[in-house]
Amino acid sequence: MSYLELLKLASTEAVVVVTALVVLAIGLTTRREATGVTVATAQGDQNVGGSSSARTNAICSFIAALGLAIAIGTALMLPRKATLFSGMLVITPLTSLFKIICMALAFFAVLLTKSEKSLRHPGEYLAILLLATVGLMLLVSSEELLMIFIGLELLGLSLYVMVAFDKTDVRSAEAGLKYFLFGSTSSAFTLFGISLIYGMSGITSLAAISEKLATVSVQPLLAVGIVMTLIGFAFKIAAAPFHLWAPDAYQGAPIPSAAFIASGSKVASFVVLGKIVLVGFAPLHGDAAWHAMVAGWSPVLAALAALSILVGNFVALAQSNLRRLLAYSAVAHAGYTLIGLVAGDREGFSAALFYTTTYAITLVGAFGVVALVRRETAGDDFSNFSGLISRSPMLAGCMSIFMLSLAGIPPLAGFFGKFYLFSVALRADAGHGLLWLVAVALFGSLISLYYYLIVLKVIFVDEPSLAIASSPDHLSPDLLQRIAVAVLAAVVLFLGLMPDALAAGLLAAMP
Amino acid sequence: MPPFLFWLFASLMLVFGAAVVLNRNPVASALSLVVSFLGLAALFMSLDAYFVGIIQVLVYAGAVMVLFLFIIMLLNLRAEEGRRINWLAATGGIVVALILVIQIFSVIGHFQAARQTFPSLERSTTDDVWNIGALLFSNYNLPFQIVGVLVLVATIGVVLLSKREPR
Amino acid sequence: MDPFFIITSLLKIVGILFVVILPMVSYAVYAERKVSAAIQDRLGPNRVGPAGLFQPIADMFKLLLKEDFTPRNVNTFYYWLAPCLAVMPAIITIAVVPFGSTLFGVPMVIADVNVGILFVFAIASLGVYGIVIGGWASNSKYPFLGGIRSSSQMLSYELSLGLAVIPVFLLVGNLRLTSVVRYQIEHGWFIAPFVGDWMNPWKWVLAVPMIISFLVFMIAIFAETNRLPFDLPEAEQELAGGYNTEYSSMKFALFFLGEYAAMITGSAVIVTLFFGGWHFPGIPDGSRGWIFGVINIAVFFAKVAIMIFIFMWVRWTLPRFRYDQLMRLGWLFFFEIALVNIFVAAWILAYFPSS
Repeated sequence: MSYLELLKLASTEAVVVVTALVVLAIGLTTRREATGVTVATAQGDQNVGGSSSARTNAICSFIAALGLAIAIGTALMLPRKATLFSGMLVITPLTSLFKIICMALAFFAVLLTKSEKSLRHPGEYLAILLLATVGLMLLVSSEELLMIFIGLELLGLSLYVMVAFDKTDVRSAEAGLKYFLFGSTSSAFTLFGISLIYGMSGITSLAAISEKLATVSVQPLLAVGIVMTLIGFAFKIAAAPFHLWAPDAYQGAPIPSAAFIASGSKVASFVVLGKIVLVGFAPLHGDAAWHAMVAGWSPVLAALAALSILVGNFVALAQSNLRRLLAYSAVAHAGYTLIGLVAGDREGFSAALFYTTTYAITLVGAFGVVALVRRETAGDDFSNFSGLISRSPMLAGCMSIFMLSLAGIPPLAGFFGKFYLFSVALRADAGHGLLWLVAVALFGSLISLYYYLIVLKVIFVDEPSLAIASSPDHLSPDLLQRIAVAVLAAVVLFLGLMPDALAAGLLAAMP
Repeated sequence: MPPFLFWLFASLMLVFGAAVVLNRNPVASALSLVVSFLGLAALFMSLDAYFVGIIQVLVYAGAVMVLFLFIIMLLNLRAEEGRRINWLAATGGIVVALILVIQIFSVIGHFQAARQTFPSLERSTTDDVWNIGALLFSNYNLPFQIVGVLVLVATIGVVLLSKREPR
Repeated sequence: MDPFFIITSLLKIVGILFVVILPMVSYAVYAERKVSAAIQDRLGPNRVGPAGLFQPIADMFKLLLKEDFTPRNVNTFYYWLAPCLAVMPAIITIAVVPFGSTLFGVPMVIADVNVGILFVFAIASLGVYGIVIGGWASNSKYPFLGGIRSSSQMLSYELSLGLAVIPVFLLVGNLRLTSVVRYQIEHGWFIAPFVGDWMNPWKWVLAVPMIISFLVFMIAIFAETNRLPFDLPEAEQELAGGYNTEYSSMKFALFFLGEYAAMITGSAVIVTLFFGGWHFPGIPDGSRGWIFGVINIAVFFAKVAIMIFIFMWVRWTLPRFRYDQLMRLGWLFFFEIALVNIFVAAWILAYFPSS
C-alpha cells in the first residue's frame, strides 16, 4: 500500500477537505477587508460591511458547491470495490452511492447557506459544513470501529459548532449547548461500548468482530458493550429516549445547520448503524418477535423504534412551531426507519436506507421553504405560514408535497418508503413476529396525518394574519433557492412514482 | 512492576479522581485531576508503554490542565457555597449507585475470561516509540490524518464561538 | 532488581544532587551577582571570604534564620505546597540527562529511558504548577497576575520548545538522550560542523536547520525558566516580584532555588542536545580509565557553566519584553520558524546526498 494509492481511494474526501480549506482561506481574507472597511468608516455605514459579507458568502458558496460537484465526479470514478487497512476505508457500490447522496445533501445545504443573508462568517460556516460532510463520507465508507468513531466525532464537533453558530440568537446558543452536552455524553458511551467490544474480540474491524463473536454466547459484558455502542447512534438519529436535544436544535440552529442535521447526519448514521449491527454484530441478532424475544441487538432496536414512534407522534401533536414539529416528526421517522434494521438482512437494510434517503430529501426541501418564509416574516410559527398560498403558490405547493410525503400519502416517496419498510418487516419471519411493531408504526402514521394536515390547513385555508399581510405581498425573489426547493419536490414526486430508480439500485448495491 | 506499586498508583488515581468531584474549590479539583493523571501515567509505564505514559503527563498534566487552571483563575471562580444536602435526593442517588455497583459485580462475575490468568505480555523487541510511529505512518495513517481534520474543526469552532463580535 | 543497580543509582542520585546541583545553584546566585557587577562595572559581593566566595553560605543562613511569615488570607495548604512544587521538576529532569560517559563501567546517567527528551518536556511542563499555585494561593493581586502570566507564557513556548528539537531527533532516529550524545561523538556536534569529519558538505548544509533549532530552543528555554528578557511572571517593576511577593524566608528561597535549578537543567539539556554532551574532541571516554570518566563529567559541567554564563549575560544586557510582544513572538514567530525548520531538515535528510 502506498500513500499514492491511499490518496487515490480517498480522493473524494481529499477534494472536499481541500475545498473546505480554500473556502476558509477566502472567508478569512475577505473578512479582514470587511472589518477594515467598517473600522475605516468608524462603523458608520453598516451597509458596507453587510454587502461585503454577502459577497463573501456568494463567492464561498460558489466554491463550496463547485468543490462538492468535483468531489461527486471523483466519487463516480472510484473503483467498484476496494478495501484499505482491513476495512478503514471500504469502497463498494453502496458506499459510493451514499457518498454521493451525502454530498448532494450537503450541496443543498450549501445552497440554503447562500441565501442566508444574515450569516456572519460564511467562509467559516461553509468550511465546517464541508468538513462535516467529510465526516459523513468517512462514516459511510468505513467498516472499522476506530474509523467510525473518529468519523462520528468529526461530524459531531462540526455540528455542535454549526448549531451554535448564530451568536446573535440566544436560542442558537441554547441549542448548541444542549446538543453538545447530549452529544459528548453519548459519544463517551459509544467509545466505552466500542472499547468493551474491542476487549472481547481483540480487533476493531467489523467483519473480524463478527467472526469472533460467532463463537461466543451473549455474555453480560458483551451485552453492555453492544447497548452502549447503540446509545451513541440512537442519539445521532434522535431515537426516543435520546431525542431531547432535537427540538431545540431544529428550532434554534441556523436553518442550513438544522437541515443538515436532519438529512446528512441522519442518513450517514443509519448507514453506519446498519453496518455495525448487520455486519459486526450479525451473530448476535437476537429476535424481536412478540412473545419470542431472544436477547441480542434487535429487541433493543425494536424497543427504541416503538418508543420513538409513539413519543415522536404524540408530542408532535402539541407543537405550534413548524421547526419543532419537524423535530418531533423526525423522532417518529427515526422509529420507522429502525424497523427496517430490526427486520434485518439485505431487504430490511435497503428498505431502511430507501426510507431515510427519501426522508432526508424531503426534510431539506421543507427546511428550504421554512428558510424562505422565515426570511420574509421573521418567524417560523404556524401563524407565519398562514395564507402562504396567496403569497407564493409555488412554495405552498412544494410544502404540501413535502408534508404529504412525510405523512405517507401515495403517490409520493414517503408512501412507498413506508410500504416497503412495513412489508419487509412483515415478511421478515414466517410467523409475522414483527406484526406488533408494524401495528405500532401504522398507528403512529395515522396520528401523524393529523398534524401534517394541520400544516396544510394553515397554509391553504387560514387567512394571513394582519402583520404579515401588511408586508410586501411577494416573498423576496431568491431564485436559486426556489429552484432548489422545486427540484427537491420534483425528486420526492419522482421517487414516489418510480421508486425502483433508487430501491433497485440500493438492493443491487447491497453486499 | 511489583504489585504494591500497581495498587499504590491505582488507588492514587481513584482517590484523587473522587477528589475532583468532591472538592468544592475548582482549583483544588483541577489539581486533583492532575495527580490522577500522573497516577494513570505511572500505570501506563508499568505496562512498558513509556510513550503513552509520558505523553499523558506532557499533554494532559502539563498542558491541558494548565489551561484549565488558567481559565478557572481567569474567570475567578470561587469555591461553591456549601449547599444543604437534600436527603431525599441523596438517598435516591445512593440507591441508584448501589444498584449500579451490584450490576457491575454481577456482570464481571459472569465474565468468563476474567477467571483465568492471562500469560504475561511479551516484551517487544523494538522500541515502543518506534512501534507507534511506524503504525501511525502505515496502518493507522488515515485515522491519524482525519484526526488532524477533526482538530481543525475544533479550532475553528472554538475561535468562532469564543470571539467577541462587534455589535 | 539487582542490588548493584540500586546502589549505584542511589549513589548517582545523591552525588549529582548534593555534590553538584545544589552547590551549583547556590554558586549560580553568586555568579549571577558577580557577572551583573562586571557588566555594570561594579564590584559585586566581596565581603564574606576571599572575593566574597562564602557569600552563598551566608545567604543560606540568612534565609534560614529569617521569620517565616504567612499572610492571613492565604490558602494555607497550597501556599505551602507551591514552593515544593517549584523545585521538584527541575531536579527530576536531571535524571535522564547523561552527565558523563562511564565511571568504573557504570553509565553516568541516572535513568536512560527510551523517551528521554519527552520525559524532559513532560516534567519541565509540570514546573508551572509551583508558580501558578503560589500565585493563586497567596490571594493577592500581584502574585495572581504573575501566576496567570506564567501559565500562559509556558504554554506558548512549550510548542516551540518541542518543535525546535524535532530536527535533532530526525537525525538521531531515537528519543534517548544517550543516543543523541553518541551520535554527536560519531558525527560531530550538531551546532559545530567543524568538529569531526568537517570535509563532509552534507554536515554543513545540515548545520543551518540545526543552528535555527538551537536558537529557537534556547530562546524557548529562556521563556520556560522565566529569565529575562521573558521574566514577566516576576517582573519586579510591574508586579513587585510576581508570584513570590507574599513569600518569605525559606519558602521564598525555594522559589529562588527552583528558578536556578531550572536554569541549570535547561543548560544541561541544551549542552546534551547541541554541544555534544560530555564529549570533547580528543578526550576518550570512561572505558579507558576512571580518570577519563571524571574528566568527561568535568567537561559536561564546564559546558553547562558556559551556558549558564550566557543566560546571565543575556539577562543583564537585554530589556524585558512587553506581554503582548512576548505572546506574539511565541505564536507568530518562533512557532512558525520551528515548523518550517522541521521541513527544511526533513528535506535535506531526504534529498541531499549524505556524503
